[in-house]
Amino acid sequence: MTGSPPLGQSVRALLTNALELYHDSPATAGQLHHQLSRFEEPLRVAVTGPWRSGKSTLVNALMGEQVAPVEVPDGQQVFTWYQDGSAPHAVAYPAGYELPVSRTADGMSVDVRRWQPAPVNDLVVTWPTRTLRHTTLVDTPAVPDAGVEAPPTAVADMILRDVDVVLYLTRDARDTDLHFLQRAQAGLVARAAPVNLLLVLSRADELGGGRLDALIAARQLARRQHRDPRVGSLCLGVVAVSGLVALAGRVLGEPDFAALATLAATPRAELDGFLLSTDRFIGQQFPAPVAVEARRALLDRLGIFGVRLAVTLIRTGSDSRAALAAELVRRSGLTDLREAVARCFVDRREVLQARSALAALESILHTDPRPGVERLSAGLEHVLTTSHDLRELRLLAWLRLHRVGFDGDLAAEARRLVGENGTGVAARLGVDRPTTAELWRLSADALARWRELADDPVLRLDQRRAAQVVVRSCEGIQARLRHRP
Amino acid sequence: MAPVWLDVVDETVRVCAAHGRTDLVRRLQQKRAQLLDSKLRVLVTGEPKQGKSQLVNALINAAVCPAGDGPTTSVPTVVHHAEVPTATLVHTAAGEPAGPAAVPDRTPVPVGELASRINASQAGRPDGAVLHAEVGVPRGLLASGLVLVDGPGFDGDGSGFNGDAPGFNGGAPNFDGDAPSFGGGEPASRVSPVASPARADVVVLVSDATRELSVAEVDLLLRMAREHPHIVVALTKIDLVPHWRLVADRNRQHLASAGVSAPLVPVSATLRLQAAQANDQAINAESGFPELIARLIRSHRAKRDVLAPATVGLLVSTVIQQLATPLRAGLSAAGASEPLARLHEAQRALDQLRRCSTSWQNTLGDEMANLLSDVEYDLRDRTRQILREVDEAFDAADPLRAWGPFQSWLETACTDAAEANFAWLVQRCDWIVNRVAGHLAGYGEDGVPEWSVETPGALSERLAAIEQPNVERFTPLQMAFAGLRGSYIGVLMFGLATTLAGMPLINPISLGAGALFAGKSIRDESKSLLKRRQATAKSAAQRHVDDFFLRLNKECKDTARWVQHLLRDHYTALTEQIHDGIVHSARTAKQAADADAVERDQRHRDIQAQMRRLAVLYERAQQLAAARAAPTVGGPAPAVDGPAPTVAGPAPVAADGPGHRA
Repeated sequence: MTGSPPLGQSVRALLTNALELYHDSPATAGQLHHQLSRFEEPLRVAVTGPWRSGKSTLVNALMGEQVAPVEVPDGQQVFTWYQDGSAPHAVAYPAGYELPVSRTADGMSVDVRRWQPAPVNDLVVTWPTRTLRHTTLVDTPAVPDAGVEAPPTAVADMILRDVDVVLYLTRDARDTDLHFLQRAQAGLVARAAPVNLLLVLSRADELGGGRLDALIAARQLARRQHRDPRVGSLCLGVVAVSGLVALAGRVLGEPDFAALATLAATPRAELDGFLLSTDRFIGQQFPAPVAVEARRALLDRLGIFGVRLAVTLIRTGSDSRAALAAELVRRSGLTDLREAVARCFVDRREVLQARSALAALESILHTDPRPGVERLSAGLEHVLTTSHDLRELRLLAWLRLHRVGFDGDLAAEARRLVGENGTGVAARLGVDRPTTAELWRLSADALARWRELADDPVLRLDQRRAAQVVVRSCEGIQARLRHRP
Repeated sequence: MAPVWLDVVDETVRVCAAHGRTDLVRRLQQKRAQLLDSKLRVLVTGEPKQGKSQLVNALINAAVCPAGDGPTTSVPTVVHHAEVPTATLVHTAAGEPAGPAAVPDRTPVPVGELASRINASQAGRPDGAVLHAEVGVPRGLLASGLVLVDGPGFDGDGSGFNGDAPGFNGGAPNFDGDAPSFGGGEPASRVSPVASPARADVVVLVSDATRELSVAEVDLLLRMAREHPHIVVALTKIDLVPHWRLVADRNRQHLASAGVSAPLVPVSATLRLQAAQANDQAINAESGFPELIARLIRSHRAKRDVLAPATVGLLVSTVIQQLATPLRAGLSAAGASEPLARLHEAQRALDQLRRCSTSWQNTLGDEMANLLSDVEYDLRDRTRQILREVDEAFDAADPLRAWGPFQSWLETACTDAAEANFAWLVQRCDWIVNRVAGHLAGYGEDGVPEWSVETPGALSERLAAIEQPNVERFTPLQMAFAGLRGSYIGVLMFGLATTLAGMPLINPISLGAGALFAGKSIRDESKSLLKRRQATAKSAAQRHVDDFFLRLNKECKDTARWVQHLLRDHYTALTEQIHDGIVHSARTAKQAADADAVERDQRHRDIQAQMRRLAVLYERAQQLAAARAAPTVGGPAPAVDGPAPTVAGPAPVAADGPGHRA
């Protein structure tokens, strides 16, 4: 990364100092050890949201397999962690007993028959899959759709404490959802870098009564939401996803495709009437030779909207299983979501983990004060204010809030340069397939322009400061170009 | 013949007016006019993004309400019948705040531009001056007088998340001042009056089939069920959800467990609009709308005979409960009237005073007795000290020579002792006064009586001056005589002894011894004289000091008694004065309490009469409500048990289902 003292390193040093201070308190020391070890682990991504917002479906869609939810007896509130590993197995914590895992046709199922009547908070499922290499997915219990009651809930606090980034799902972004987002931004560290949240308009296929253009409309809605300053200030972005369609695209099998192809081969005039409602789709006198069970399975997998979309897609050229699956995934918004996760989170893994560690340290210092804490607090603040990575994130947040009054173009360029679209050199410079020479030219231009701005006496102080951060980022770009092979 | 419910309403209005509850009067009169109107106002409400506007559109088969993915409905749309399509925006006069006095402007707009005009005016005027939109469409369904109101969604939390929170009222109370609800806590309180549930005859709550009824929705239903006998829950978007029947069953269970007797109608606006396009009756029947429409039409037809009495029944019951609450409170509060409390207070004060006066008298007596003994002891101690010094002085000094200085010293010592003693007396008296005054401090009479005691300055004068004691002087004659006596014995003793030695009686030795004896005898004589003089002086001084003590002691006792009498008189007078005051107030309180008891009795009877009147009214209201319940839905249970037929075949059941026999 571009920071001169790498953020991860200084945070590790801070944690080690804290360990010395708290060496006589086993609980706190354990927490600190845990934070230190998290640096070696993949990024923790929580998928959370209110009741029936499509959390498990989205987890499945992200993993490309039918794994969630693990139906837990007694309806206990359990965090299910999906992590990468060589052999599939599941362990229930804190009791610590193993549950057998079996592979199914398109995913896995955890055998809960051997469930023991013990309090279980976390269920850790190890599952070999490529998706989990860089991220650990957490399927959380529903954040209570409080609205009326007090928003501070145990679930929300646990989510915010234990994970690095959050995908917050909502069916129709409303004010109750803002409570959670606001809660996520409490605390010194969180305010210094409000960068760990994506708002996801899940179940986008249900928008507008399941019309064929529902997903496009949902995408527009997401953009509009993001422009709303109340939302934009609290999260990194808003993405519209249809979890059901995405999952269907990822696990689409040949029998499903065959059935869909049969449907598509049926003349539109005959078929359309039966695509009007779910009842009609699985009703009698169906014009295509597809068994009721197959239709029911299609409906469960795709939803009526998914069936309509798939049939239309097959008719318009996606006439192989692979092509249809790819198109479904693309249309569902899952591609956008994964790209946003990669760009906003995975690329900045180290920074985000450091940030979680800092937040955890802040809360420890706050809850267990003892002599010597002041020095650590000062160290924490020092890291917060001097780390270039965090400065970039902070500037990004300010630019989003329009707190730094640059003009539209300048603000957009600043956002790009400090890494809004990704931290890669090309992404920062805003070019797709660049040559090295072009990169050098662009970075030199940007550096010169922002140096000038940083020294421009006409600008306000905060604008000059912001420009200095951008200059620092430009210098980082050039340093990386220099070290390129 | 005026229907029964009209009588009940008018009676209730009179009762409310008698109670001075103009708000309720206005509310009832509005409801009365609304119920007499032949139109049926149907309010379509629910959480945002549940398909309310789409439901309205599907009901009339026309896209009049802006429905879609974007912003939720923020301005209520009133859809009524018109020969030709019309659209009107109703908003407050420009530049005026929305208030009770404002007369709304009406702007006709082209039907097609309604949605964009609403959005434009919302954006253009941040104070949200548009109150509502009115749309007239030529539809058979509406021709009979059905009016549909597409209300803005209520969010569980308040303002809409989509950035266009409805703010028609600008914080002012509702446009024409009618409170939207009785119970308070109405979520629609910010909603434009046309969309307030109070204005609606029938409420359709829209909830989509993708999830079960939320707690907020059930709460809303419970609140509305207090005023609306006819509530329909429309389960929308059943075309999207494969397992909507499960959701519908669950919702019916929720409704039943919450005690809301509202039928649940699964509908699909998409199917209905499709049916209209394709003119396909089968799809139309599948959409569930025929049942919903049948229910609405049934409610409309029966408005006069069933809906109105039932509504009045609920409304009047609510109103009467509201009226009865303060009355009940008045009854229970009547036990402790204000004059009676004053009387009790006066009696308590009198007791208190009695206790207080005993205690100050005790204090005064005890303290004075203590004071007297203490002062006497002090004085005695001081005089003894003086006497001791006198004794010491005259053990050594010769009164003959030292009497002068001694006399002045004794006077000074006595005066000093008297002054110190007196000062102490005054201090003690002062302290006693304060202590006694402390007892009466609670009455605000902390004034200490004016008193002052002076140290009797002329004490020493008044005391007879100590007289010089009669002392014997040692005169030269006495001296000579004593010398002669001594010398005689000496000469004789030694002369006789020396005669034995042959010497004459008078010889030098006897003469010398005579001189020696004379000297000794003179010295002895003068010493015994001195002793006698000293004793005399001591006894004289003692006598004087005793006199002094006696006199001064008397003086002190007199002073202390004088102070005691002064205090006793002062505080007795004061106590009597306070006592008189309390007795007077007790007397007036008693009179007032007597008068009040009469009045309270009267009021009690009044309240009871009013309560009886209310009870009669309530009874009638209950009968109205019961009369509705028996033929219509038969309480909550049938509404819950009834889903099977309604689901199986909406249209035929709608015609003659259990719901309609009026």
